[in-house]
Amino acid sequence: MTIRTNTATLPASKKKKSKKKSLPFTDWWAGLLLPVVLIIIWETASRNGWVASHLLPAPTVVVEEMVTMGREGELWGHIGITLYRVLAGFVIGTAAAAILGVLTGSSKWMEKLLDPTLQALRAIPSLAWVPLFILWIGIGEASKITLVAVGVFFPVYLNLTSGIQGVDRKLIEVGRMYGFSTWKQVRKIVFPAAAPSFLTGIRSGLSLGWMFVVAAELLGTSQGLGYLMVFGQNTSSPELVIGSILLFAVFGKATDEILKRIERKSLQWQDRLDNSV
Amino acid sequence: MLAVEKVSRWFDEKKAGFQHVNLQLTKGEVIGVLGTSGCGKSTFLRVLSGLDEGYEGRIHSKKKNPSIGMMFQEPRLMPWLTVFENVLFGDDGSKKKEASELIDIVGLGGFENHFPKDLSGGMAQRVAIARSLLHNPDLLMLDEPFSALDAFTKLQLQELLLSIWETKPSTSILVTHDIDEALYLCDRILIMRGQPGEVESELVVDKPKPRHRGDRDLADMKEEILKELDFTND
Repeated sequence: MTIRTNTATLPASKKKKSKKKSLPFTDWWAGLLLPVVLIIIWETASRNGWVASHLLPAPTVVVEEMVTMGREGELWGHIGITLYRVLAGFVIGTAAAAILGVLTGSSKWMEKLLDPTLQALRAIPSLAWVPLFILWIGIGEASKITLVAVGVFFPVYLNLTSGIQGVDRKLIEVGRMYGFSTWKQVRKIVFPAAAPSFLTGIRSGLSLGWMFVVAAELLGTSQGLGYLMVFGQNTSSPELVIGSILLFAVFGKATDEILKRIERKSLQWQDRLDNSV
Repeated sequence: MLAVEKVSRWFDEKKAGFQHVNLQLTKGEVIGVLGTSGCGKSTFLRVLSGLDEGYEGRIHSKKKNPSIGMMFQEPRLMPWLTVFENVLFGDDGSKKKEASELIDIVGLGGFENHFPKDLSGGMAQRVAIARSLLHNPDLLMLDEPFSALDAFTKLQLQELLLSIWETKPSTSILVTHDIDEALYLCDRILIMRGQPGEVESELVVDKPKPRHRGDRDLADMKEEILKELDFTND
């Protein structure tokens, strides 16, 4: 009898790993180049009076103002309440979207029942809800959080359902071969397969959440970064407005970065360009 | 161990699918189902495996609910699971030892923690082999398992299957359109033809395994099968 070996020569998967030489420095500071140059130009323009400083104060003035407010403690309240609104709205909106998305994504009947309504509601520009929310739940925290939740809801819902519907039928069949129950099928195949679209939805949901918190805070509040902007406008202090914008940018970016890290960590299995070794 | 009586599955007002298939499977036997594309041979396997329930006729097995291992043309691995987890897929976690052994048997020792995206086509199909064998299936169904692989990988995996069968004989049905593959691996070959497909003839390959790929008798049989399939006027 001829001798047969079990181990065949395995293709060297390592050859894929021929590292592209990434330039360690240019990588990250290249992105900083443009903002730094712009800030320098802005600073010089302001200092030398090329632009009216009561309209466009120098960056250093803005930062100074924020630092002073931070030291006096006033700023933290504004930041805290805004973060709280975004976070609460984000959690509620995501939870609602996840529940409804799973329902409509895993049962045809539920989809026929719920999806048309949700799609119709989506057609309403979310800001149009503002007067109604204020009428219903007053101008307190609840109406602001609800507005943020509405903003977060739709991207998460839409991405999740399309993710669930796009699950490969061939993989489902593998589950059927094992005699999985519907729920096990959903848990072991549909959810993991839909996870990437869910995470994409969460990220765009979060950015909409930030947008909606600004809208909510521009209308009738006495605290929050959005309020600070209105206050700055009313008291002709552009440094407050610009400072708030900067803070929104910082926190928006930071929270998105957190989600991005989570995404990258949990989706290592994906065959994507930014994933390749 | 499995008896198929006058089973038919039609599509498109009986213009496609297969019909009137009879088959008796004995334990440990490897049956090949050979036919041109569109003769319903893959559908036949789907019906046997329970994936397609719209058939007519009778299928019964000695054992109630025989366990089935299935290998498809594509590996169909879960991309979010590692090789090890993929082999364990469908198990509650009690067969970890068996899974490691199987991974070694199919020659993927050391790749347990790789994701499918890092595997070549042949390696992925090896994982699929291991997965289909985890539960020691009563019936192993192979639906053109190697047809998407290059010629060399295909030969390697055929050898692998043979050596697995040697240590763990399992009743198997191999659907293929590769005459050499069927002659090399199977004890009995059903030849299907037509639309809807019917079993045209049955051929017993009475040669001890492993066989020589260049064997005279096998070559004669190939000739016979080619004549049978008669590509000139279908």
